[in-house]
Amino acid sequence: MPDERMRTEQLHPPSDPSLDPLVQEPQRWTDRILNWAAGLPWWAIILAVIAIFVLYSMLSSVAYRRVIRSLTDDPQVSTDDLFDVVQIVGEPTMIIGRYTDETRDSVETVIAELLDTVIDSEEVTRTGFIEEETPATLTIQSDEGAFTIPKGRVTEMDPPDAMVGSDVTITYIDRVTVTGVLTDRNDKTMTVRTVNEETVTFAKDRILSQDIQTIACDRDADPNCEDREVIVIQRQGEIISGRLNTLSQTNMSLELDDESTREIRRSDVDYFNVPTLTIAVNVDMAEAAVGEGDEVRLGFAKETDITDALVELETLDEVPVPLRYADGDARVVLVPYPDIVAALEAADAGEIDAVVYLDDSLDRLAVADWVDANPGANVMLPTPPRECERNCDVTVKLVDDEVTGTVIKETDDEITLRTVDAVYIILDRDKIVDDRRMEPGVCALNNLRGCDSGIFLTLRVTFMAYGLALIIGLFFGLMRVSSNPILYAISTLYVEVIRGIPLLVILLYAGFVVSPRIRDTFGLELTDEWEAIIGLAFGYGAFIAEIFRAGIQSISRGQMEAARSLGMSYPQSMRYVILPQAVRVVLPPLGNDFIAMLKDSALISVLALPDLLQLGRLYVSRTFRAFEGYNTVAILYLGMTLLLSLLVRIIERRARLPR
Amino acid sequence: MNEPIIQIHNVHKRFHTLRGTVHALNDISLDVMPGEVVVIVGPSGSGKSTMLRCINRLETIDGGSIVVDNIPLTNARNINKVRTEVGMVFQSFNLFPDRTALGNVVLAQRVVRKRRRSDAATKAQNLLAKVGIPEKADAYPAQLSGGQQQRVAIARALAMDPKIMLFDEPTSALDPEMIKEVLDVMLDLAKEGMTMVVVSHEMGFARAAADRAVFMDEGRIVEEDIPDVLFSNPSHDRTKLFLSKIL
Repeated sequence: MPDERMRTEQLHPPSDPSLDPLVQEPQRWTDRILNWAAGLPWWAIILAVIAIFVLYSMLSSVAYRRVIRSLTDDPQVSTDDLFDVVQIVGEPTMIIGRYTDETRDSVETVIAELLDTVIDSEEVTRTGFIEEETPATLTIQSDEGAFTIPKGRVTEMDPPDAMVGSDVTITYIDRVTVTGVLTDRNDKTMTVRTVNEETVTFAKDRILSQDIQTIACDRDADPNCEDREVIVIQRQGEIISGRLNTLSQTNMSLELDDESTREIRRSDVDYFNVPTLTIAVNVDMAEAAVGEGDEVRLGFAKETDITDALVELETLDEVPVPLRYADGDARVVLVPYPDIVAALEAADAGEIDAVVYLDDSLDRLAVADWVDANPGANVMLPTPPRECERNCDVTVKLVDDEVTGTVIKETDDEITLRTVDAVYIILDRDKIVDDRRMEPGVCALNNLRGCDSGIFLTLRVTFMAYGLALIIGLFFGLMRVSSNPILYAISTLYVEVIRGIPLLVILLYAGFVVSPRIRDTFGLELTDEWEAIIGLAFGYGAFIAEIFRAGIQSISRGQMEAARSLGMSYPQSMRYVILPQAVRVVLPPLGNDFIAMLKDSALISVLALPDLLQLGRLYVSRTFRAFEGYNTVAILYLGMTLLLSLLVRIIERRARLPR
Repeated sequence: MNEPIIQIHNVHKRFHTLRGTVHALNDISLDVMPGEVVVIVGPSGSGKSTMLRCINRLETIDGGSIVVDNIPLTNARNINKVRTEVGMVFQSFNLFPDRTALGNVVLAQRVVRKRRRSDAATKAQNLLAKVGIPEKADAYPAQLSGGQQQRVAIARALAMDPKIMLFDEPTSALDPEMIKEVLDVMLDLAKEGMTMVVVSHEMGFARAAADRAVFMDEGRIVEEDIPDVLFSNPSHDRTKLFLSKIL
């Protein structure tokens, strides 16, 4: 075997094996990659190593993980929520309830506490005479026709003791709508979660008191039901620290450390305060003037937030110590104390000139207590600082509240309660009259329909648009080789016009000219995604039509003659003889266009679609991290195109004929 | 039954090129009886191939009439019907390169004759055996020699059960040693009584199989006779000149 290979190489030493049809030595793909890599110039190897290193360090850093999470829609691994909203009109068993109240929680939760199912029923009143009565149903003849009404669904009957043949007005429930999340379906049934489970997890040290209560069940509604035991916990309001974004009469918005924002109602806030660097001054010192060579002694409490704050201060110029200053710089000495009270006492005694402290909740209380306890103290407190309105760190404590539920998980620190049980309704599919609406559910790897932004949108739009472009291109490509002058003229017009207009303009046409026109004319509402797909498909259809035309024309005339001489019609010859060969020829340029379209799909962000680029731009405008944001966008596109070009090459290789 | 299966009457064909008009067929008339084997010889550009291609309307004619199997070649509607009755074998084989030998023979049976897949495959296998290459059924055209490819092409044409076979220089693209295998297949066909019109310079084949030989030059039929007479004792000077060059 090695001898043979050597001989072959000696026969054809300089030629590239892939170009030489005589050398058919099968190579393993690892060999191929190694050979290929060995043939690269040295600068390419160095660049590749640097690129891999940069990529690795980027992608392993927290900042980039965050960018990628925001660009990729952050799907879960799996979900039960296959569809978000399902409205099914049918006839399940039902319990009717009223809407009574709304709280901070969702409406669904409130209803769930009142009802076992979420029902939106439609009541109908009909007047007529009773034609027939069975134990289960009533049939009434009215002006609109005969209706058979299950007795269990009658809510009102006038007169209540109507008999067969007598006139009656009946109010009954005609249709029942079930709203919820589709979680499962098989041939016979659909399972709809009408009430979402809600859980709450909080630190155990917030528990103020807890109590076990028994909820008696309604035996009138369900004789087999059992009483439930629930735990009722009084808990201390949550303490949230963050940077204040907005503060209004009713709401406040905080940006937390992990860059998420949290909206808080003012009515839920017990108290909040803004820590401010504050200075309490010895009264005598406040009167004196400080000049060159003097020493200002500042006390502070050790190991509190102030320590960090002071370390960050380069000079004390930034600290507005309310002293009288003469000419020249005074020296500053920082004196640590175990706590704020000790520092205040030192200031009272004159050991230090002033106390610097961070006016947060704890220190403020300690200072207030100390001032109360020492009314004649020799320390002057500053006037309270102006309340911050935005861009300052605040600590918010929410009001104490009560949660009721069953404990589903408890660790040393945390407790998880299920406050609302999920409710599932199993519907007989035969009884479903109408699917009103279905929307794709939660974005997850087993439910990519639900992912409507980032990579998934880009890929979905590209694949759909490319499929459509192939159909358009084939159609117009065949017209371009047609001998019919009208078809030829139409296709030539299409190709020349579309090819001469920038894709961006075509997309804008699709989104803002064609789509509104379709809506006005046919009443068909195109989603933004379909506008983008149609724009891309028609824009690329022209190029693909030309590719198909060239491919068809590259097949020798003899093939068509052979096919026709066998009695095949023109369409049959195209379908069975010419196109299969032409497709093989055009696979490489089609693959090129596919990759080009993936890249050009970045243009759809002009239609306000949250594709990869749009998310990247949002990320950058939010964080001003242009480098990380656009790098990641570029790398994700690069990764996708590399993978797809690999796929294209595999398809090309598979389509190759044996020789 | 003694009516000619191919009737060519006063046919004219002109090609319009940039350098002017070429009168490829000039008042050609030829009748072929059922079961007859006609060999057409003539120098390059004499219109032999054009006439053959006119018989199944790969070229349209500018004047005169052609009637094949009582179907006049006048409009496009009956042309596919004529073509299923007329098999054609090309100089350059024109096999479908993306299909195996068997696939080549099966395709038109399925598409045009609407035969069942198994029937078509059985017939194709039998025909490949008949042309002597049953073992190449799964080979692609590129894996076959020229002679084998031409035999697959003959099998492909025969699969449609044609009444007439047209051969357009079937051996001129082949190496000498492959010519014989193709000619043997054609001889067998002739013996079975197939109506054949063959454009070829294979004198051996013409003498052995042909009922009639036709000499064409400059778009006209110069003379026709039984092969032995035409080849050994031609009456026209043009024929003598031509034969002296190729023999």
